[in-house]
Amino acid sequence: MKQLNSIVEGVGSVVQLLFRSASYAGSLPRQWARFIEQCYQIGYTTLPIVAILSFFIGTVLALEAGYAMEGFGAKEFIGSLVGLSMARELGPMMTSVLLAGRVGSAIAAELASMKVYQEIDALTTMNIPAAKILVLPRLAAVLVMMPVLIVIANIVGWFGGSVVARYVSTVGISPESYFAALRHYTKFKDVINGMEKAEVFGFVVVLVCCDIGLNTKGGPREIGAAVTRAVVVSLILILVLDYFVTKILM
Amino acid sequence: MDTQMESSCSKTRNPFTGAEANAVSVKVDHVCKSFSGVEVLKDISFEVIPGEIFVLMGPSGSGKSVLLRDIVGLDVPTSGTVTIDGQDPSLEATRDRVRVALVFQDGALFNSLSVYDNLALYPREHRSGDEDSISQKVMHALKILSVEDAAYKFPSELSGGMKKRVSIARALVMEPQLLLYDEPTSELDPVMSATISEIIATLKNEYSVTSIVVTHDRALAQTISNRVGIIMGGELITLGTPAELFATKDPRLVDFLNPKIDIKNPRFKKLESTKPS
Amino acid sequence: MNSTQQTARVGLFFLLGVALVWVTFQTLSDGKIFEERSHTLIAGFGDLKQLKTGDEVRLAGVKVGTVKTTRLAGRRAEAVLQVDPKIPIASDATASIVMSGLIGGNYIAIDMGTPGAPPLADGAEIKTLESPDLNTLMSDIGGLGKQLQESLGSFSKTLNGTGKDGGGIIQKLDKLVTENSARVDATMANLQEITSKVNRGEGTLGKLVNDPKLHDELLATVEEIKATATQAKEFVANAQTLMDQVKSGQGPLGTLVYDQKAADDIKASIANIRSVSDKLAKGQGTLGKLINDDSLYNSAQVTIKKVDRTLDGLSDSGPITAVGIVVNALF
Repeated sequence: MKQLNSIVEGVGSVVQLLFRSASYAGSLPRQWARFIEQCYQIGYTTLPIVAILSFFIGTVLALEAGYAMEGFGAKEFIGSLVGLSMARELGPMMTSVLLAGRVGSAIAAELASMKVYQEIDALTTMNIPAAKILVLPRLAAVLVMMPVLIVIANIVGWFGGSVVARYVSTVGISPESYFAALRHYTKFKDVINGMEKAEVFGFVVVLVCCDIGLNTKGGPREIGAAVTRAVVVSLILILVLDYFVTKILM
Repeated sequence: MDTQMESSCSKTRNPFTGAEANAVSVKVDHVCKSFSGVEVLKDISFEVIPGEIFVLMGPSGSGKSVLLRDIVGLDVPTSGTVTIDGQDPSLEATRDRVRVALVFQDGALFNSLSVYDNLALYPREHRSGDEDSISQKVMHALKILSVEDAAYKFPSELSGGMKKRVSIARALVMEPQLLLYDEPTSELDPVMSATISEIIATLKNEYSVTSIVVTHDRALAQTISNRVGIIMGGELITLGTPAELFATKDPRLVDFLNPKIDIKNPRFKKLESTKPS
Repeated sequence: MNSTQQTARVGLFFLLGVALVWVTFQTLSDGKIFEERSHTLIAGFGDLKQLKTGDEVRLAGVKVGTVKTTRLAGRRAEAVLQVDPKIPIASDATASIVMSGLIGGNYIAIDMGTPGAPPLADGAEIKTLESPDLNTLMSDIGGLGKQLQESLGSFSKTLNGTGKDGGGIIQKLDKLVTENSARVDATMANLQEITSKVNRGEGTLGKLVNDPKLHDELLATVEEIKATATQAKEFVANAQTLMDQVKSGQGPLGTLVYDQKAADDIKASIANIRSVSDKLAKGQGTLGKLINDDSLYNSAQVTIKKVDRTLDGLSDSGPITAVGIVVNALF
């Protein structure tokens, strides 16, 4: 009962934060510098890890697909499997998981420490809403950066699959036939579909991490707890939302 | 009601632009505050009239900072009310109308921003003037507190005393009508403490800024305050002019205001003797 | 890091993203970002099977468009096709739903139509042809195999006979040739006799030689006999071709297998030939009057030789070919 209550309370708090931030949307042009900084943090600095992870997801997908499909002589379809799985599911999902781990935790830590060290209070007395200068630029940045991360993740993942297809002897199909299958079965709308998912995930992750950070109470010890909570809640939300968003977008 | 009337005749002038605004009054009415059953503030009532310097003194942990947070609207009292010019300070509408600045005990500077940006944040966000006039204001405020050399440093590179001064400078840039200080002179050397006292007095005399100062600094209380309230154990035990207060015979206050260092008969020995063995 | 550098990096990063989205789009969607001006064609089917939006439309195997949408219109299903307006689709072209593989999707196949047919206008309806889908096809193939077996059984029965109705076509042909060879011999003997009579100046030959009208009539008669023989030869040749076609899998197998008419025709033709040669042997008709004309005799001999040869050919190749057909068709 207590847990349920805290969940409902959390949802309420997040929704409130969303509306408060959205109400300041008009101030975004004046917060351009902050927006760019958040774009840098969310997009640019996250790129290397996204690229590395996507590459290996692509290779593993191709490897597993090669193993499974060899059984009924459908190795030519490895490209389509890797292409579709990357674009529709694994690209958006894993990028969002990384975002939760890398950006979400940083956001939660930063806002939690600002709360603990009274910086948020100082903002309040200055009549500068945290939702406006701390949350809004991050939400806008994640919306802009997520598609970029996703398209890079997709392409790197596809490329990873082709490397395995070419150089691993148990798979052994030519990159030409790999990409031909990929192109034939992966449509641009699948990529768009994945981006839509990623936008939802990224937005929710950032929003939830901001909310958890801003609601930290107590001393410095709570900063760590807030980060843990933010990441756990983000990961759960990504997977739960994944089902529903996929269902809706179908 | 008389505070309201007084507020209309007393004006604050913006220390930098000279623009005038009404000085504000603060009314603390039967405020109680408890954290998970523990009473921190017990039925505190007082009024701060516009343009006065009100000093709150008391031992550490007596609830002064909590009271300050209630006044500035960061927390809400468990019972009782706090009003600034008759309005609830925790509402955003009140903050839109009345500029209230709080100098936090440990500065509460924005660690991700340089000192300059810490000060410039408020005028930038509230669009008071272009970047040139903001720069002028910021550098002026930093100069007053002689921390202009630290303008492009980050808070993490500053000493505790410098942080405090930057924090006061940040409050000045806000051009407040009501200024609250939480231990403004702690961690400062005597000269800087004196400077802070002078700044508070100047703001009061020339610009009629209402100030509430939580401090342990006897000199500050004695020289510049209009009235002093002393809180002990969450209760406001006395309220009066500094002259009255320092002339009191109340043994609790005498020991608090003029503690004697008695090496032969130390306090901690007395405390030990009261402990059950 | 100063903020200009940061802005530059974010800008660069964003542009990279946009460029990659563009590349992905170009690669996966053949660069159709704006709705291209395109023709719409309506293809009505009884059943669209697994056809879905986005499937390809191919003209003679070349992709010319996609299925824009599928919908129900009254008692039929319609596929709205979006095709490249630069490619004219003949108005008598037919569209059918084709599977591109066992686990692949379907596509709409459009044939070329006849050359010179006017192209279909935008929004026009294209002729369609229902094609069986995989499941129907599989069950049909099963039934077809059984029917084929039955048909071939009856075909070989017709050719070889069951014995109780006097033998099949092959035996009959054999018998015909064998029986007639005696009669032809007799005819030859008769002709020889007649010739010797002519040599001796007997009979009405003098009259016959001097009358050109009668001569012409006789010539025409001989021509008729010749033509009959040629027709018989042609017929046999046709039969041979038919069998070859059946053997090589060409032609409407079912029709051939079921049609008794061919066999009947063969029978009838052979009966005709028999009656002609019978008449010849008996000296009936105008042939008896020919006896003094050497060229006529020679022509007759040549004709009869041809008939003989043709019939021989038929009897030689017949049974072997028939067995070959049956064997080949079954496997």
